[in-house]
Amino acid sequence: MPSPSLFEKSSPFSGVYFMLMVNRMQMLYFFIIMPRHLVHPYMIMGIMAVGILSQVNLMLLSKWFSSNFSVQGYQGFVQLLGERTVRVFAFLGLFLILLRITVMTLGFVEIAHQYIFPSMTSNWLILSIFIVCFYLASQGMENTIRFVVIAFLSTIWMVIIYYSFFFPPIASMHDLYPLMPPEWSAISWKGLLLVWSSLSGVEFLVCLTPWLRPKQKMLKYLTIANTISVLEYLVLFISSLLFFSSNYLVKTKYPVLDMVRYLQFPAYERIDIVLISVHLFVLVFVNSIFILLFYGATRILLGKGVQQTTRMGFAASFIIILVSILIVNQWFWKSGEEQNIWLNLQIGVGAFTYLLVPAFLLVATKLKGRFKV
Amino acid sequence: MFWKKRKSGSDRKQNDPNKEVENTTLTLDTLKNIVVNMDDAEIIERQINPDHKVTLLYIRTLINQERLNDEIIEPLIHHSPAPIHECINVCKASKVNDLDEAQRQLMEGAILLSDRSEDQWLAIKLENPLSRSIESSETETILFGPKDSFSEQIEQNVTLIRRRLPLTTLKTEKFTVGSLTRTPIVLMYIEGLTNPELITIAKSKILTIDYDLFLDSSQVAAFMEDHVHSIFPQFQQTDRPDSCVYALGAGKLTILVGNTPFALIAPITFFDLFISPDDYIHRWLIGSFLRGVRFVSFFLSLTMIPLYVAINTHHYQMFPLQVLFVLLESRSKLPFTPFWEAFLMLIIIEIIIEASLRMPTKTGQTLGVIGGIVIGQASVEAGFASKVLIVTVGISTIASFLVPNYLMVKANRLLLFAFMLLSSILGIFGMALGFIIVLVHLNGLTSLKQPYFAPIAPLHMSDWNDLFIRVPLQWIKRRPVSLYPLQKWRSSRRR
Repeated sequence: MPSPSLFEKSSPFSGVYFMLMVNRMQMLYFFIIMPRHLVHPYMIMGIMAVGILSQVNLMLLSKWFSSNFSVQGYQGFVQLLGERTVRVFAFLGLFLILLRITVMTLGFVEIAHQYIFPSMTSNWLILSIFIVCFYLASQGMENTIRFVVIAFLSTIWMVIIYYSFFFPPIASMHDLYPLMPPEWSAISWKGLLLVWSSLSGVEFLVCLTPWLRPKQKMLKYLTIANTISVLEYLVLFISSLLFFSSNYLVKTKYPVLDMVRYLQFPAYERIDIVLISVHLFVLVFVNSIFILLFYGATRILLGKGVQQTTRMGFAASFIIILVSILIVNQWFWKSGEEQNIWLNLQIGVGAFTYLLVPAFLLVATKLKGRFKV
Repeated sequence: MFWKKRKSGSDRKQNDPNKEVENTTLTLDTLKNIVVNMDDAEIIERQINPDHKVTLLYIRTLINQERLNDEIIEPLIHHSPAPIHECINVCKASKVNDLDEAQRQLMEGAILLSDRSEDQWLAIKLENPLSRSIESSETETILFGPKDSFSEQIEQNVTLIRRRLPLTTLKTEKFTVGSLTRTPIVLMYIEGLTNPELITIAKSKILTIDYDLFLDSSQVAAFMEDHVHSIFPQFQQTDRPDSCVYALGAGKLTILVGNTPFALIAPITFFDLFISPDDYIHRWLIGSFLRGVRFVSFFLSLTMIPLYVAINTHHYQMFPLQVLFVLLESRSKLPFTPFWEAFLMLIIIEIIIEASLRMPTKTGQTLGVIGGIVIGQASVEAGFASKVLIVTVGISTIASFLVPNYLMVKANRLLLFAFMLLSSILGIFGMALGFIIVLVHLNGLTSLKQPYFAPIAPLHMSDWNDLFIRVPLQWIKRRPVSLYPLQKWRSSRRR
């Protein structure tokens, strides 16, 4: 059950934890569907370009991490923006968090449903995942942040499996050309937006600054995280291109998983079942962080930011999230059309928040005239 | 806020049985009153000279009677004119002023001597050194390295450690727990090396122990653990002095408990339970390999049977066709689902393990071998279990015993049942959920308030040189960072 102080700050974390968190948040769900939306080989350059843009964004974010306001957490935001504005943002944050958890969870559950348990009611899968998320989140923010190391080590090895797709007999270098786009369309823009949105989620870490050890060289850690993510995207996209080529890539829904189904070992096949199951580590970790952020935002909204956390409050927040997801899954996620709406909404909202939050915080800090260089 | 307040110290004292005769003064009559109906209590009164009478009171079964004759009675007879303290100067005598102290000394093997001429009571320690000799460890056997192990005598155990660590900074603080057993506890640490916070936490935990019987160190550990409901041991139990010395040298605490050969080491991490003294005796590559084998075995023992259940219940498609044929043929005549088939076999294995542990050594070994083979063979022939499962159960069971810590082995066996249940419901997906639950639990566990899953979570990369592999000793230059020792470096030149 939840400890009396879910947001206790007894031992601050080094930048390494934030590095791992940034990387795993960027490798949550969109990378599974990304190759299908990018399709063309020249999108390799697109991924790199967006990766550089993301790096610029992270530089802005690192300025926030080194500011005096960020260290103070909630009080820092109040000093910077005023209590009323913070409450408004907390209110908006509730919907953003809820949307993100919903899309990521239902997207993952749909994959598990399709690849592992086609005949099982997906609500049971959602429930089982969320029970574990509740258990992790109930251990408090410190333990949840610490769990990122386990989540990272449990899943980082998966990208190594894709090395075999670089050397199949059918793979040809020609599949990777042209590297420069001969034409540019709205779909290409959408692909870039998806990559940008895939790299989002990091902006929510501004709420976790009180748990960060002061005077960390955050830019270094954020850069490493972003680089690893971009490299992983490139490995997955290039291997998908080599395996499917552009012509067939567009025809597969989850290319990253479909290609793994073709891997054969002497004693077992269908390694995709194992990979999907292991990826649960990341989903549980990220969901738990967002559940705690949701509870924190609710407390700020209700004006109880400085009071002791309660079991009831935490449980209520958890139930709201769970019921919302179950409702969306039951009535709004079934058909392909509606699903696309949710997905497009999250792509748009994720890209928007990732673009605006670091810039907004930096501008607000500058305007306040206390920016620490 | 969420927990009931503990009883205060004054409330607890009411349970102490030795407080029955509180508020009575120390006289021969009150002492006689106390030893009523104690067949082994002896009272000797002797007139040394006309105006000098001494009384000896002791428990016959607790003292060394030879020493009583040689060191007290004989000198008293032959040197009767001399003062009492001169007669018995070969013994360690201390003055006793109150009845509580007199009772305590009496029950710890002292002789109470009443010197009526000076109106004083003396306690002379003459406890019977009832102990077995120093033998080799039966629970943590190693091929090379020190063979001695602890015994039930706490003083002897302290000696075994002190001989290896001849330091004045090696501190031994004594406590007593158990209102009935009055079990002595010795807290050992190296001053100036061990993190003082750990010492404070350990002391406060020992001082709050309130129970009547303590017959083993595991019971003391149960009262000191941070998480009572966890299946993972939060204190390492060992009967090897070298393990204790290694722990002390790393900045940990050792707790010796009277009347048991098993000492406690804390704080520990999950990974400490996979370390054997062998690791530091072998060449580093071999030591690392053996440690790796232990980790792999632990993982295999936990996953093999659940994987069998998961694949046979939910994921037939994971097998290539040739393997699938073998499995289908093996399971074609079985009346049970994979879960019940595996569950029955595991229960049988547990019964055999428990039975062979409780029986005399040779009978136990025979029972283990014969029981395993006969029952396994018969189960296959009777159509209760598949051949594949028998092989899986056999490998899994043997693999589980590679972990050096027996408490961890038991935790592993219990986890196996939980994993099997999850895999039967949700297949490999369920197993992944099970692993996440276990790792979340380990992530939140603490041992003496220190993280249990260090150096992974929290991450201390510098401690990884003695984690999954053991690098050459020359490279292990720092003590574990996760313990925050006062002396970080093992090399004297870098202090």
